[in-house]
Amino acid sequence: MTRQALNNIDDLLRARMQFSLERAPRHRQIILWMIVFGLTYGIVMGSFGGITPDRFQQILYSATKVPVLLAATFLLSLPSFFVINTLMGLRSDFAQVIRLLISTQAALTVILASFAPFTALWYLSFADYEVAKLFNAFMFGCASITAQLVLLRLYRPLIKKNPRHRVMVRLWLVIYAFVGIQMGWTLRPFIGKPGMETTFFRQEAFTNAYVEVVQTIMRAVGW
Amino acid sequence: MIRWIKQLDGILRGDATRMSALKHGKIETPVGGVTVITILLGATYGICMGAYAMIRTGGASADAYWQMLASAVKLPLLFFLTLLITLPSLYVFNALVGSRLSVLSVIRLLISMLGVMLAVLASFGPIVVFFSVSTDSYPFMKLLNVVVAALAGFLGLAFLLRTLHRLVLAQIEVDRKGIAPASKIETSNDQDVPVELIEVDEDDNTSALDQVGYGTTEKARSVFRIWIIVFSLVGAQMSWVLRPFIGSPDMPFTWFRARESNFFLDVIDSIGKLFGM
Repeated sequence: MTRQALNNIDDLLRARMQFSLERAPRHRQIILWMIVFGLTYGIVMGSFGGITPDRFQQILYSATKVPVLLAATFLLSLPSFFVINTLMGLRSDFAQVIRLLISTQAALTVILASFAPFTALWYLSFADYEVAKLFNAFMFGCASITAQLVLLRLYRPLIKKNPRHRVMVRLWLVIYAFVGIQMGWTLRPFIGKPGMETTFFRQEAFTNAYVEVVQTIMRAVGW
Repeated sequence: MIRWIKQLDGILRGDATRMSALKHGKIETPVGGVTVITILLGATYGICMGAYAMIRTGGASADAYWQMLASAVKLPLLFFLTLLITLPSLYVFNALVGSRLSVLSVIRLLISMLGVMLAVLASFGPIVVFFSVSTDSYPFMKLLNVVVAALAGFLGLAFLLRTLHRLVLAQIEVDRKGIAPASKIETSNDQDVPVELIEVDEDDNTSALDQVGYGTTEKARSVFRIWIIVFSLVGAQMSWVLRPFIGSPDMPFTWFRARESNFFLDVIDSIGKLFGM
């Protein structure tokens, strides 16, 4: 059972999934990996303030936020991707496309979970909250770039079948990143500042990640 | 209803505009049901746009609900009014160049185009709602909607031009075989028609500069090329006339706003505001 699952994850990372269809995992199983590995990284990420009973809530929040972030971004980006794929005449491949996209989400969490020891070591070494945030952002960035490689590899047979899939996979990355960045910003705090009250969302009103970035740059430039 | 959705799906998948479906050089699928679905899709996106007003006021006032309702009504209106305004001149020029596209074919083609546009637009609805929930910046929301609408418009107009291109090819095919224009099918005898076509035209006074083979359908295509520019400009300004769609958080709800400025100036203004200038 576990061995089968580990084999399947190995296949996923090596992008062998569509070649070994007879032992291809079900969607449910892929989604389960996404939750399990997402939670794994989330628990480590939320343990910045220490693993004490009063920080338990924060760890729980951080853990759930990772799969929520990925699933929500995925679901929001899917309808437009579906319609545009249909317009491009790629509807018949869409079932396979969904499978690839879900698998990529799972791969992203596997990669993230493999980075969890680094994060733990970092937390043990440095106590600065701001730097911890940056380190996690860096880990997410690395994992996203690696997962993108998995996606491109999974897409390769489709692109061979119809070169239009190349444009589509790029479009997916644009939509997904656009929504994902704002989703990450909205779901703050992921780590939870020690000393601040533990909340699922930040108390202040929601703001826009892109507007924040632009304003920060503008302030730095001196407008 | 399900049948109508399937018809729209056929348009999106390209079944309705495949060469085999256009073999008489005209569009044969009816679009009555597609119109209804298109309006519903537009209303859906309108609600998504209006969600910003709802969320900014915390849903406390009746104004927020009015804004959503108004956007749901106005968004399909925007597209159909734009079509209505640009249709008469399109018809006149289409007839002037002697295009063989019938009025019915043109209308079906344009409704299909709106179907494509609004389906794409509605599919971005969830993303727009999410940004409405998580964004306090009004200029950002305006620009996001402009970008999404531009993308939908671009895909719809691309669909229009590609379908016209297929219609041209289909008509050339028809001419070559000497069968259609469909109305003549009954009167023509399969055998002697090609002979007529080969016969040398006594009055042929083609000059050295005339483009041979540049038929009326190609001219119709140039008419449509110019028309899509007109359509985009009219559509952009129409959205300004029908504003507010999103609902500024600082202003009370009104169905329409006073006459001032224009779409393009406001887009530039919004970009400036976003960058804090």
